[in-house]
Amino acid sequence: MEAKKIITENPVGSSLKSDLDNSIHGSKSLLTPNEFEMDDVLEESVVNIDICDEGDQLVVVDYVKDTYANYRMIEASMYSLLLAACAISSCEKSACAPNPYYDPYYGGMMTTYSQHLLGLMASAVRRIFSNISTALTSPERNHPPRRRSSGSNVYQEEFRCYSVCVARLAIMVMLAILIGLLTLLTWHFTKVYTRTSLNSLAYGLRYELLQRPILRMWKILNSTVEITTSQVKLSEYVIRKYSKAENQAQQVELYEVMRDITWALFSSRKALNSMSIKYRNGFVQAFHRDLRDKNTYYIYSNLDNYTMVEPYSMNRSSPHQEWNDQMIHGNVSAIWYREPLDPDTGRKTGKQKEIPPDELINIAGISQVPDGAASWHVAVSKFTKSPLLSAALPVWDEDRGSIVAVVGVTTALYSVGQLMKELVELHGGHIYLTSQEGWLLATSSSTPLLRNSSSGFTLTMAKDSEDEIIQSAAKWLNKTYHDKAPMYHKVHSATATLGQQRYYIDSFFLNLTRLPMVGVLCIPRKNIMGKVDAREIKTLIILISASVCILVVGCICIFILTNGVSKEMNLRAQLISHFNARRKAEASSNFKSQFLANMSHELRTPMAAVIGLLDILLCDDSLTNEQNATISQIRRCSTALLRLLNNILDISKVESGKLVLEEAEYDLGRELEGLVDMFSVQCKNRNVEAIIDISDDMPKVVRGDSGRVIQIFANLISNSIKFTTSGYIILRGWCENLNSFSYNENFFVDHRALWAAYQKKIKRKGLDEKKASKNDNTMILFFEVEDTGCGIDPSKWESVFESFEQADPSTTRLHGGTGLGLCIVRTLVNKMGGEIRVVKKKGTGTLMQLYLLLSTPADIPRESYQLKFAEHNLKVVLALNGRMSRAILSRWLHKLGVPIWEANEWNELTRVLQELFKPTSYAQNLMYECSEVESLSKEGVEMSIFIIVIDIGMLNISTDIWKEQLNFLDAFNRRSKFAWILNHDTSNAIKIELRRRGHLLMVNGPLYKTKMIQIIEAVIKESSLEQQKKNIMWTDAHERLQIDSRPSHTKSSNESEITETNSTRSSQIEETNQENFTVYGVVSNCFPELTEVRSEWDRLTSFPNDNSNCEQQTHQADQKVKNGQKALEGLHILLAEDNLILQRVATIMLEQMGAKVVVVGDGVQAVEALSIQIEVDNFKTSCESLPYDLILMDCQMPKMDGYEATKAIRRAEMESESHIPIVALTAHAMSSDEAKCLEVGMDAYLTKPIDCKLMVSTILSLTKCRT
Amino acid sequence: MAAVSQLQRQFIEYTTSLYNEGYLDDQFTQLQKLQDESNPEFVVEVVSLFFEDSEKLLNNLATALQQKIVDYKQVDSHVHQFKGSSSSIGAQRVTNVCVHFRNYCEEKNLDGCLRCLQQVKHEYILVRNKLETLFRLEQQIVQAGGSIPMME
Repeated sequence: MEAKKIITENPVGSSLKSDLDNSIHGSKSLLTPNEFEMDDVLEESVVNIDICDEGDQLVVVDYVKDTYANYRMIEASMYSLLLAACAISSCEKSACAPNPYYDPYYGGMMTTYSQHLLGLMASAVRRIFSNISTALTSPERNHPPRRRSSGSNVYQEEFRCYSVCVARLAIMVMLAILIGLLTLLTWHFTKVYTRTSLNSLAYGLRYELLQRPILRMWKILNSTVEITTSQVKLSEYVIRKYSKAENQAQQVELYEVMRDITWALFSSRKALNSMSIKYRNGFVQAFHRDLRDKNTYYIYSNLDNYTMVEPYSMNRSSPHQEWNDQMIHGNVSAIWYREPLDPDTGRKTGKQKEIPPDELINIAGISQVPDGAASWHVAVSKFTKSPLLSAALPVWDEDRGSIVAVVGVTTALYSVGQLMKELVELHGGHIYLTSQEGWLLATSSSTPLLRNSSSGFTLTMAKDSEDEIIQSAAKWLNKTYHDKAPMYHKVHSATATLGQQRYYIDSFFLNLTRLPMVGVLCIPRKNIMGKVDAREIKTLIILISASVCILVVGCICIFILTNGVSKEMNLRAQLISHFNARRKAEASSNFKSQFLANMSHELRTPMAAVIGLLDILLCDDSLTNEQNATISQIRRCSTALLRLLNNILDISKVESGKLVLEEAEYDLGRELEGLVDMFSVQCKNRNVEAIIDISDDMPKVVRGDSGRVIQIFANLISNSIKFTTSGYIILRGWCENLNSFSYNENFFVDHRALWAAYQKKIKRKGLDEKKASKNDNTMILFFEVEDTGCGIDPSKWESVFESFEQADPSTTRLHGGTGLGLCIVRTLVNKMGGEIRVVKKKGTGTLMQLYLLLSTPADIPRESYQLKFAEHNLKVVLALNGRMSRAILSRWLHKLGVPIWEANEWNELTRVLQELFKPTSYAQNLMYECSEVESLSKEGVEMSIFIIVIDIGMLNISTDIWKEQLNFLDAFNRRSKFAWILNHDTSNAIKIELRRRGHLLMVNGPLYKTKMIQIIEAVIKESSLEQQKKNIMWTDAHERLQIDSRPSHTKSSNESEITETNSTRSSQIEETNQENFTVYGVVSNCFPELTEVRSEWDRLTSFPNDNSNCEQQTHQADQKVKNGQKALEGLHILLAEDNLILQRVATIMLEQMGAKVVVVGDGVQAVEALSIQIEVDNFKTSCESLPYDLILMDCQMPKMDGYEATKAIRRAEMESESHIPIVALTAHAMSSDEAKCLEVGMDAYLTKPIDCKLMVSTILSLTKCRT
Repeated sequence: MAAVSQLQRQFIEYTTSLYNEGYLDDQFTQLQKLQDESNPEFVVEVVSLFFEDSEKLLNNLATALQQKIVDYKQVDSHVHQFKGSSSSIGAQRVTNVCVHFRNYCEEKNLDGCLRCLQQVKHEYILVRNKLETLFRLEQQIVQAGGSIPMME
């Protein structure tokens, strides 16, 4: 999987990706429609997610930079988020298992969060895929393919765009979600942590704040109680002391003492507002501090009105009834005095003043101690704005029977309020104290606590307070807790909204027996959380803006990055599709070659049969000469066809670059002539001249792959024929030695470009190449194929060499063909180090030029025809229909110094003939002869030979006139030799007639130099033969024939049929023949062509004037059969073959040929057989070097196959320095198998089923080589 | 003599039909040509060799293909041998099936191989029957005192 690979290779790859990968793999099975595309897209999305991931980290870094350093929690949360993201995969794998990497508090949150994230991602991925799958299917529905060729491209393009956009969008959405979540989470953590800590801090503060006034309050109360108690105790003591007071004086003294005591106590407590003692008799003593004017007063009632009441006489059971406020207050008669005192000393500082009672202070009466216990109450004084706390305590008599006096102490609550103010000044907010009922006792505000109502000053309720905050707080408390709740427990609220602001409200319940109190603290939230709240908003704004910025930047980055990535993806997809196409092409090419390989095997069998049957026919002696010629032609064509089959096989190799060119010596000229012969039939039918014009300096024998070279020209010529309807096709050839190569003006002007290209190439190849070629004697062979067909448009000159390319596609119907021919040609030419091109030509038609680099084996002396022909004083009349070929021939003959007369048609020929022969044929024109050959001797005239080459087409065959024409020609037969150029369709009757008339020299068209040479040679021989006729006896010739037959056959077996003319006539002729063989130097390796030796030429030209013609022919045939049958006489052959049937067949075949065969079953045996033989040789030291002349080796054998066996044999031979020819037998027909065979050291190669003749020829050639 | 000529005609017809139906090809003709006075029983000898060989090979092939892990290399070599021997005898149709068989071997296609094995067997039995009939005819002709007509 491509995507997987990318992920694993990426070092940044977090578990996120593997998670995605998993999901991709999971969801992949759902998306089958187009797997290749799918992969592509997946890859893309994965890469994009990768980017996104990196972007995420970017966010973290940027973010940490941006946020405040002290907000460490943000950082922490960030990392935890990252951790969460990283932990997603593990979370997913272990479902909800607790993750050990983070603490339990976050654990749940993280898990849920990561699950949430996971869900988001999964949904995003799902969405992408659903989009992709719809994109995959929808275009087909929506856009019907417009054009077949480009439709798929367009569709792919659209699809890609669409998928990229979708992927981009998906990534952006995911990024947005991630960043949003990050922001929210950060903000949330920031808020929560700050708030909790601040809340706890604030709580402490509030508690403290509330505690302090309450403590103060408590202290005040305590001190008041203390004072009161001590006053009570003292009073008790004093009163007890003076309880027995009898007189006024004593009474006064008591009061005096009481006054002193009270003063002492009063002065010791500066905080006391007043202190009073009310006696049973109604006398009141009180000290009062006016807090406003800082004066201290002593207030007392007039004693005059008091009667001395015996306290003991009081009804003890009901002391309360005697003591009532009514009595006191109603005691209007009592006069109250007030005298200012020095606050420090208590001395009188001013006159006593009469004041109205009850005006000054609260005097604690008996009513305030109803049950005799201490009592508290809040009092209101005229003189202070603050409420007063007053305590009252009764003074009991000795036996606690009755209350003798009541001590009252009042303390101003002013100081509590003061403290509250101080506290509030520091911290802000409001504090107030209320009684249980809600009366306001002290506040931190400066609003008055007392209301001036009709009944004087009264306490205000908290909810009626003039301070709005206190009022609203009281109301809020009331509303929230319905009056009762706050009294019994503490209230802490942080969310009360009072007025416009939010407040913290805390209340405190102070449970005093008589005076339960409630303290309430209202602190504006702003004071404590103000900054936090402000920061919170700021942080949020910053976070959001940062997130938005990051999102935007991230989106842009994604866009930019994915742009590149998508481009890359596109390219990659294209590349992959190209690869795919290439793979397909290669696969199909492989199929093709496989097919061809199989086919070749199948095709070779029938071809072998055809060739075999032809051979059989050729063996048949009952055939007429013409039939024989036809069959030879068929034989050649079949061979060509077989060769073509092999070529087809190799085309696949050419295409896959596996073609290996053979390196063998062959006669190029003869091959080309054979080619032209082959095509001439076709040309003749189309009324086109096929001409070959190969210069004389062309090497006869070159090294190379003859099959390929022939293939090149066959392709070119057949191509030309296809497009030429009239005119001619010329194959020109000339050569230049590479070493002596130089620019030559004689070459065609058109060639300059070719030459230039060639020279460039040579330069490129460098010196090494040149050196190497020097040794090889490399030749550059130039060829031209010219035709007069329709020609090729200059714009197509290059493209015609491409595969499946034709100059004019419309011609396919007319001419057929696939357009592969020229492609193969160019490949082959390039392979041979040459080049091919189309060049400009005068007139219509095409001119193809090519050159090949071929090496010649050695310097071969060239025949000097000139000398030879000049000796014989030849004169040639060319009566040919083809203008072009005639011109070429005449030019060539002229160059050789042979006088020429040309004739285009019959009438011209008669004219020429008559002109030529008039003087000699008619006695009266001797003058002419004399004038003509004046300088020549009589012998010279005699020696001059006229050769009249006549095209059979000159004769008017359609009517009977041709016989007349022949009659006319007969007149010249005496003085000249006629050579007839026959057509393939020339009827037998004409041939027979010609032969009857003694025209035995007949050649199948077309006529070219080699044939011309042969004609001339034949004529020369014949004429020289005629001279020596009388001297040589036929019997000698017969003997000679028998003696020389074998070498002559083996040597001449490969020769063209024409070269053999009267080969067995005389020693002289034999010699010339031998000369020819040496000149041609051809290794005879083709037995099937053995039959060609006796071609029509042989028959036509042999024994021209003899009646024993038939006899001779039969004799020859016998000889031939005998040769064929016993061709392997005396050979020892080792056959290594595992297949019994083949063993048998091959053995019989070989034995019939006269060979001795030893059969072995496998490679091991073969090697053993040889080694034993070698040992035996060593012992015997026999004169024979090796017992076996040859080994036929099957390639596939048990134990040891043919290749191994061959290697073993060759190794063994290394010691003895001998060489047994080994012929491979294999059913594999590919030339690569042949190469393999040759590689391991085999000498030749035969395919199964065994073709008898091919085998014999191969064996012969190999054994011949040895001997 | 009428019986002989009828037998001869029958023989020719039969042989021709064998060629036409593609049971035999040129190679068989070559074999027949190789038979002469020195090897009077050559064709019969070779063909019976072929029968022996084929039966052995077919057995080998059947066992090889029944193995759990089929050794295609071995199967291929067997088929190769079979192909070689059948083509030497000229049993064209057997050879053709062998070619297919080898392709399947290369593909390592067991089903194809088994199918081909059946085909090969079938073809082989066919050609064996045909050839045996042919030889019987030959024998009859010889017994009747006639000569075996040569096929051209």
